[in-house]
Amino acid sequence: MKRKLEISSAQITIRGLVKRYHYQPVLDNLSLTVEDGDFCVLVGANGAGKTTLLRIIASLVRPDSGEILLGDDLLGVNPQLRQRIGFVSHQPMFYQDLTAIENLRHYARLYQTSRVDETINNGIRSAGLSQHLNKPLRAYSRGMQQRLSIARALLHDPVILLFDEPYTGLDQDAARFLDGKLKQLHQPGRAILLAAHRPQRLLPIASHIAWLKDGKIIQHLPISCLSESPELEQYLQEVA
Amino acid sequence: MSPILRYLRVIWQIIRKDIRLEWRGRQGVPVMLVFSLLVVFLFNFALQLSPDLQAGLAAGLLWVSLAFAATLGLNRSISLERESGALDGLLLAPVDRSAIFFGKSLSNFLFTSLVALVLLPVFSLFYGNNILNLSLILIVLLGVGATTSLGTLLAALSIQTRTRDVLLPVLLYPLALPILIAAVEASRGVLSGRALSDSRNWILLLLACDVLFTAAGLMFFETILEE
Amino acid sequence: MPKKPPGLIILDILSLIGVLCALGLILFFTPVEATMGPVQKVFYFHVASAWAGMLSFILAAAAGAGYLITRRFSWDWLSLSAVEVGVIFGLIAILSGMIWARPIWNTWWVWDPRLTTTAIMELIFGAYFILRSGLNTPEARARLGAVYAVVSVATVPLTFFSIRFFRTIHPVVIAGTSSGAAFNMSPRMLVAFFTSLAAFTILLADLVWNRFRLAKLKATNQQEMQ
Repeated sequence: MKRKLEISSAQITIRGLVKRYHYQPVLDNLSLTVEDGDFCVLVGANGAGKTTLLRIIASLVRPDSGEILLGDDLLGVNPQLRQRIGFVSHQPMFYQDLTAIENLRHYARLYQTSRVDETINNGIRSAGLSQHLNKPLRAYSRGMQQRLSIARALLHDPVILLFDEPYTGLDQDAARFLDGKLKQLHQPGRAILLAAHRPQRLLPIASHIAWLKDGKIIQHLPISCLSESPELEQYLQEVA
Repeated sequence: MSPILRYLRVIWQIIRKDIRLEWRGRQGVPVMLVFSLLVVFLFNFALQLSPDLQAGLAAGLLWVSLAFAATLGLNRSISLERESGALDGLLLAPVDRSAIFFGKSLSNFLFTSLVALVLLPVFSLFYGNNILNLSLILIVLLGVGATTSLGTLLAALSIQTRTRDVLLPVLLYPLALPILIAAVEASRGVLSGRALSDSRNWILLLLACDVLFTAAGLMFFETILEE
Repeated sequence: MPKKPPGLIILDILSLIGVLCALGLILFFTPVEATMGPVQKVFYFHVASAWAGMLSFILAAAAGAGYLITRRFSWDWLSLSAVEVGVIFGLIAILSGMIWARPIWNTWWVWDPRLTTTAIMELIFGAYFILRSGLNTPEARARLGAVYAVVSVATVPLTFFSIRFFRTIHPVVIAGTSSGAAFNMSPRMLVAFFTSLAAFTILLADLVWNRFRLAKLKATNQQEMQ
C-alpha cells in the first residue's frame, strides 16, 4: 500500500553536517531541508562554506559527520543516487580540446541518457549555441562555457539542481539566459539550491532563502516572509 | 540497465574519451615515443654502447625508457582531467568510482603499450637483437600493466599537491622497483634466447604486481579523490 | 607544556638502560670475530636499526590504515611519528652497514637485498615527507599520507624478494668473499644480538611516543589558536 505522505525524491534533507578544514569546522552541525518545488537561494559571506555545502551534497566532498537524504535515500550508500543530481559549479567541467557535442555526448553516456542526440541538440539549442557546435571548447568565452555547463547539468533530467555562484563572470546575455532557465526549472518535482553571495537578482525568482553563517543555517525562510527577519534584510542590503 | 553493464559502459566511455582527446591533441603518444627514443640515444652516448648490445643491457635500456615514457603519459592523462574540472564531472557520474580508476588505467595502459610496441622494432634496428618476439611482448604488456595501474593511483595523489606532476616519479619509482627488476630479468632471459618458462618466477612476480596494484587502485582511488 | 605521562618517563628510562646494556654486552661480553675483527661489532646495532626501521614502516602503515578507517587524527600523528623515527633508524642502519662493509670488503656499499631494501625504504620515507609538505590542509596530509603509507608497505616484501632473487642470479663477488653476513654466531653473540634487538625495539616505542606527544600538542595548539 502506498504511504500517504511519501517523501518526494526531489527533496534534500541535511542533518547535523560537520566538515572541518585545518581542524576548524567550516560546517558546524548544519541542518537544512529543501522541499520539492523549492528554489532556495543560499547566501553567506565568501568562505562561509556555501561551496563546501554544495560539493558535499554533490558527493564530491566527504563530510566528517552528519547525513544527507535525497528524498528517502541516504546519500553515500548507492552511487546510483547521483543520477538525481545536476551540479553547476565555478568550473564548467569540460575537456577543452573536445567540441561541445563531444563533451555533451561524453556526459550523456556517463549518465546513460536515452535518446542522446535529441537531448543534446535540444540542450545546445536552448543554450543558444547551435552555431558553435563543432568548435573546441577552448574557443568558447566564459559565458558560453557556463551556458553549455548548464545544458550539461540538465542532460539527464535531474530532479535536484545545485548551482554554485553561477552568475560569476557571465555577460548580460548569458545572465538573462540563466534567469530564464531558472524560472523554467522552478516547478514541482524539482528542488533547486543556488549559492550566491549577491542574491539581489534572484529574490524575484526564488522561493526561499537560507543564510549560512558560522557553519550553520541561521535563517531559512520563504522570500515572501523576508520582512520577518530584519537582520537578513540588512545583510542583503550590505552585500548588494 | 543492470549496474554491471552501466559500470562497464562508463569504463568504456572513459577510454573512448581519452582516445578521442589523444587523437585531437596528439600530445601524448608522440611525445612519449620521442622522449623514449631520446632516452635511448642519451644512454647510447653516455654509456658508449655498441651495436652488439648484450641482452641484459638491452633489457635494462628498454625498461628505463618505458618507465620514463609511462610517467609522461600518466601525468598528461591526469592533467587533462584537472583542467576545467573535468575530473569532478567524472566523480559526479552515477557509478562506483572504481570505474574511473579502471577507465583511466586502461587508457594509460593502451597508450604506453602503443609506445612500447613501436619502441621494440626501433630497438632491434639500433641494436640488432631480435627484439620482436611474442614472449617479449607478453612481458612488456605485463610490466606496463602493473606500472600503469600503480601509476594511475599515484597520479591521482600527486595531482592534488602543489608540486603536481613533478611528484609522480618520486612517489612511483621506489614502489615500482619490483616491476622493473622482474621485467628486466624476464626480458633479459627472453632476449638471450631462453624459453619463457625459464623466467617463470619473474613472470609470476609481474603478475603478483599486476594483481596487487589493481587491488590497491580499487581500494583507494575514491579515497584519494574525495576531499 | 603539560607534564609527561609517567608511562613515557618509565619508557625513557627503560630505553636508556636497554641501549646501555646492549652496548655493554657488545663491547665487553662478546668475543672478537675471527675473520672480521672488532669492526664486526657494528653488526649488532646495524641489524637492530634495520629491524627498528622496518617495524616503523609497518607501524606507519598500520596507523595510516587506522586513520582511514576511523578518521581520527591521533592515528595520523602516530603514522607521521613512525615515519620520522623510521628515517633515523634507517639512516643508522645504512651508515653502520657502510662502516662495517668498508674494512671487510673494501667497498662502501654492497647491493645485498637487506641493505638495498633499507635504502629504498628511506627513499619511500622521503617521498612520504615530500608528499605531505605539498598538501595544504592537515586533513589532506593525513588522508593521502595514509594511502601512500599503506600502498608502499605492500611493495616492500615484493622489493625484497625480487632483489634477493636477482642476487642469486647475479651474485656480487667482492674481494674474494660473497656479500652477506657470512659468519656463525656463538652463544655470547646471540645474547648480545637479541639484547640489541630488544633494546632498539624499546627505543623505537619510546621515540615514537615522544614524537607523537609533540605532534598532538602542536595540533591541539593550532586548534586553539584559530
